[in-house]
Amino acid sequence: MNVRGVRTLVVAVCLAGLAGAGGTGSTAQQGASIRGRVEIGIPVTARRPSSAYTTRAVGQSVLAPVSELRHVVIFLKNAPSAPTRPRVVEIRQRDENFIPRVVAVPVGSEVQFPNDDPIYHNVFSLSRVKTFNLGRFPRGESKSVRVTKPGVVKVFCEIHSHMTATIMVFDHPWFAMVDEDGRFELANVPPGQREITAWHERLGDTTVPLRVESGRTTEADFVLPVPAR
Amino acid sequence: MTFVTVAIILTIVFIVLIVDARDRMRGAETAKLEASARIFRAFEDRRERDQLATTAILAETPTLKAAFDTYITEARLGSSDDRLQAQQTVTRELEKLAAVTSANVLAILDNERRVFASAGTARQQWPPDEQVTLLARGSTTFQTVAVVDAGAFRVSGAPLRLDNRDIGTLVLGTSLDNAYAEVLASLSGANIVITVDDRVVARTVPERVTRDLVAAGEPGNTLRLDGEEYAVRTLFASGPVHIYSLTSIDAAARDATREAMKALATVALGGFVLAAFGSLWLARTITDPIKRVAGDIATMTAARDFGRTLEVGGTSRELDALATAFNELMGGLMAAEAETQSAYLGAIGALAAALDARDPYTAGHSERVSDYSVLIARHMHLSEAEIDVIRLGALLHDIGKIGVADHILRKPGPLSADEFEQIRRHPGLGARILRKVPFLEPHLAIVELHHERPDGKGYPFGLLADNIPLDARIVHVADAFDAMTSARAYRPARAASAALAELQRYAGTQFDPASVQALREALAQSSSAPEHQLQALLGREASA
Repeated sequence: MNVRGVRTLVVAVCLAGLAGAGGTGSTAQQGASIRGRVEIGIPVTARRPSSAYTTRAVGQSVLAPVSELRHVVIFLKNAPSAPTRPRVVEIRQRDENFIPRVVAVPVGSEVQFPNDDPIYHNVFSLSRVKTFNLGRFPRGESKSVRVTKPGVVKVFCEIHSHMTATIMVFDHPWFAMVDEDGRFELANVPPGQREITAWHERLGDTTVPLRVESGRTTEADFVLPVPAR
Repeated sequence: MTFVTVAIILTIVFIVLIVDARDRMRGAETAKLEASARIFRAFEDRRERDQLATTAILAETPTLKAAFDTYITEARLGSSDDRLQAQQTVTRELEKLAAVTSANVLAILDNERRVFASAGTARQQWPPDEQVTLLARGSTTFQTVAVVDAGAFRVSGAPLRLDNRDIGTLVLGTSLDNAYAEVLASLSGANIVITVDDRVVARTVPERVTRDLVAAGEPGNTLRLDGEEYAVRTLFASGPVHIYSLTSIDAAARDATREAMKALATVALGGFVLAAFGSLWLARTITDPIKRVAGDIATMTAARDFGRTLEVGGTSRELDALATAFNELMGGLMAAEAETQSAYLGAIGALAAALDARDPYTAGHSERVSDYSVLIARHMHLSEAEIDVIRLGALLHDIGKIGVADHILRKPGPLSADEFEQIRRHPGLGARILRKVPFLEPHLAIVELHHERPDGKGYPFGLLADNIPLDARIVHVADAFDAMTSARAYRPARAASAALAELQRYAGTQFDPASVQALREALAQSSSAPEHQLQALLGREASA
């Protein structure tokens, strides 16, 4: 049960009578930033059986299950497009899983898919913004794709139907993955009235409006899933 | 009688059959339904296992899951504006899969159990966004009943699972419709009715029957439906869905009874035919011959004709032996009777001879009177039996004279009144003598009454005309004729014609007219005179 019961939103009081006016489009170098914390409000169930029939002889992961916090993406909704330096990330196939399961990259980034398993994987996606099929490749090999449009790319393995990964592609820099403690920070947010979304594949998402002041840090905390009123 | 007996036995057997058949059928049909339940279980288990395996495998299809999840995520993020396209993609994948299963419908439900896409022959009943009610759900593959607006389905389901969450459910469904009911009915040999929420969705019996079944509520072992008794069994009950199997006990009993009736009728027919042949054979061999023998004996008895013999050589040795024995018996009887008769005649002859020995005048008189009497009787066409009685009776008519004293009997001259009185006793005396001998009884009338006169002046009783028996009247006339035509001690013999004239003069008074006439006519027919005395008589007349 949710201790908090109510969505917690600590909003630092914007300065009354703000400098306003020129908030939009300001290229104040100081920039605003949004900082916050995400909390998972429900006990996350242990890993469920992954298929209807017993899994094959690939060893179960001995690692501790990754906290679901790491799969939360925070981003500015309807942010203006802004060029962002592309990155290179990798999504590994290990123990019939995609690791990490969620990545967030800017447009133009390259996503690599190295195969760590002794079995084949066949990585593909049917997503509108990037449809691909990398074909089979064995352990030690890797293929990659370059994402060129913003949106969500859902990645699957054609051999192992339970494997799934998500690539969120943004055409602006104001997005972040939450760390182990649930903290995030978005820097250089253009000031003004903004909307910020906390998104999780399974636990849901929520969007809150936020007024961002130049040179200020706005706090935003989230609880997912969103508690029912 | 045989027929009646057989018919009664058959009727009783038939009634017992009817009563017994029903009970037997009730037990048989109930057992049949239990067997049908086992068949249903086996059939369903097999089918469910197959479908479950298929569902599990299909739920693992990567492209299916990928397509579905991609759509969901894009819709969620608002970046997909073409829901229809996504649905069609998923539907196409489903259609490929539906082609390889035997299920009626293959569908993907979202986490709220609304239809996202469906394929298969029954997909019209699973349109997009249709809310599906699953009566049970499991975390891995499961079997349950799914109820949609248009009907009910037995489904196998599997979650579409990605490693951290379920994105929906894949179901394979078999429609609980008439086709399914037909298969079940033909496998189990019983009728099937399927209801959802007490609404009949499939049946292999007429609607009247299902109406009564639904109205009955919770069915027991037997129910009265549409006027017939049915055995009912619930094969499957889950939530609102019920599958019943039923058979008509009445129909089965009727069939069994009809079969038995046919057998009975055949047996009866055969029995009747056999009985008929048996009767015919019996009749030919035994009954008719017996009847014939009995008839012959009856005829012989009626005609007192014991000279006939029974026919021998029929169809039965036993009857032949019987007839032969009877014939021998009759032969013996006849011989004995002949002996008796000859003894009888001998006795009469001895009596007559005894009479003749006393009086020479009387000698031959009895014989002549007997001859004349027979002549008269024959001329009157009396029967041979009557002629016999007259012949012998006339022979003995004067036997009573044995009791008359010699001097009276032989007196040459006329008799005094006293002596006449003595003479007049001889009829009664003769009757008294003869009365002691039973077999001479027929001749008593002649002996006692041969002196009676039509005018009533005769003796001993003075009877009138027709009161005198005919044979006595005949002998009277014959007696008088011979007396007149015989020589006596006190007078000579008279001529026949004179005697006849005398008879004629007193016919009606002293003598019976018919007898007199008969004598006249008989004597006139001289050519037909069998009695030897008559010849002698005619010769005497000529010389007189």
